[in-house]
Amino acid sequence: MPTQITDEAFEYLLARAGLSLSEAEKAELRRVCDGIAEMAERVRQPRGIMAEPALTYGFAEEDL
Amino acid sequence: MGAAIPTIAEAARQIAAKELSPVELTRACLERVHALDERLHAFIHLTEERALAEARAAEVAIMAGGPKGPLHGVPIGLKDIVDSKGIPTTCQSRLLQDNIPDRDATCAEKLAAAGTILVGKLTTHEFADGGPSFDLPWPPARNPWNPDHFTAGSSSGTGAAVATGMILCGIGTDTGGSIRGPAAYCGIAGLKPTYGLVSRAGVAPAAFTLDHIGPMAWTAEDCAIMLQALAGHDPRDPASADRPIPDYREGLGRGIKGVRIGVIHHFHETDHKVSDGTQRGIAAAIAKFRDLGAEIREVQLSPLQDWAACGALISITERAAAYEEWARTRLGDFGERMRSRLMLGAFVSGVDYLQAVRRRRELRAELHAAMADLDVVLTAVQPTEAPKIDAVPKWDVFQQPGFMMPFNVAGYPAMSVCAGFGAGDLPVAIQLIAKPFQEATVLRIADAFEKATPFRDRRPGIA
Repeated sequence: MPTQITDEAFEYLLARAGLSLSEAEKAELRRVCDGIAEMAERVRQPRGIMAEPALTYGFAEEDL
Repeated sequence: MGAAIPTIAEAARQIAAKELSPVELTRACLERVHALDERLHAFIHLTEERALAEARAAEVAIMAGGPKGPLHGVPIGLKDIVDSKGIPTTCQSRLLQDNIPDRDATCAEKLAAAGTILVGKLTTHEFADGGPSFDLPWPPARNPWNPDHFTAGSSSGTGAAVATGMILCGIGTDTGGSIRGPAAYCGIAGLKPTYGLVSRAGVAPAAFTLDHIGPMAWTAEDCAIMLQALAGHDPRDPASADRPIPDYREGLGRGIKGVRIGVIHHFHETDHKVSDGTQRGIAAAIAKFRDLGAEIREVQLSPLQDWAACGALISITERAAAYEEWARTRLGDFGERMRSRLMLGAFVSGVDYLQAVRRRRELRAELHAAMADLDVVLTAVQPTEAPKIDAVPKWDVFQQPGFMMPFNVAGYPAMSVCAGFGAGDLPVAIQLIAKPFQEATVLRIADAFEKATPFRDRRPGIA
């Protein structure tokens, strides 16, 4: 499971994204941002260094 | 009002036989708009004068030389994230409330070239994400089966307007279910085509690699007619597929004996258990397909939660990138729900995004292998009948995984087909998914189902 985000990290990520939020918006976002971390863990698989990403646009022949 | 609402196929036959005038048809649609839209809010901008002028021009052309195709003289609408030359295109947002494009989106151009009549621009969620919202300059659309209930989104106006015959068909867009979701809740047919089959050029992005443009209409046959006009390569869209376009109506009416349908039971029975009414609709649909001669099999895929996580991370990141400039400078001008979605982008790293795109390739390969001996797979569209419009959770993306996002992740064609009525006498639906570029297959199966069941005989009482 991902660790909970610290106050400092939370503020840093918002500042880096250039987002100016109210305290109420920050509090709400704090409640849901762990859900993002959980999803980020879920897409990580033991796939090795050679596993390619999906094509950004369209299908390769192997997909059809 | 009062007269039966024709399908496109029926209207086309009557127009070709000179039994129905495009002007009469357009006037009937406009009468429904005037009678119903104060309650349903399906339209954000009505183009009444232009529609009547186009209808008169279509009538003159048809009287002189016959219709140029089945859409000639047919009233339509465009979701308001679709650029329309000289007509306001707001994306339901304060940020674009004065925006008037100087060029049509490719899909709008193609429908105009087919002879359609533009009745107006249709309600959506702000930039096709996050609704229903009550803090925007325009209200959200209401469900025509019960206006206290949600249409789903984001092609919400299209769903409500088609169901009530204010238009015969309309454009929807779908990033995680925005064609199929409203189609299900509004009891109509909606097809998300294969990624790249219909051009995205001139349509505001929600997430570049998940966005699909497609038809919404009363029947599968009407979706086929509309897709015929929409499909095809477009150099304006870098993701546009360059492939031959088949006749999407060729297989309709040929039956489905021997068609192989795989049911992804664990999606809607375990991973996210659907309502009793939805489950009954799915079970009855499977029984009907068996009666029609289809072979029914079981399909096992990765848990729905895996597909949802992959799609959500890609969607959150691509949306945050597309709207970053406005998020930094005009965040307060977005409605609350869109603003909240944009904030999420700050918490997805570049590595998270790319791991999701790597997972996407694995999931697509998994679906490809699972469908090797199948023609389509089947699951739910929505987990329940339409909820009350004031009871739609804001953070549903973290609560329960949806049934539609897997096929945006895969890019496979997927269709919502009305499968009866559940709690509150609200529509329920099934989702049929075919292999890439096999839209003709899913349309043929959906058409056979519609013709073998009574659900296309009933419109919302309000209409």
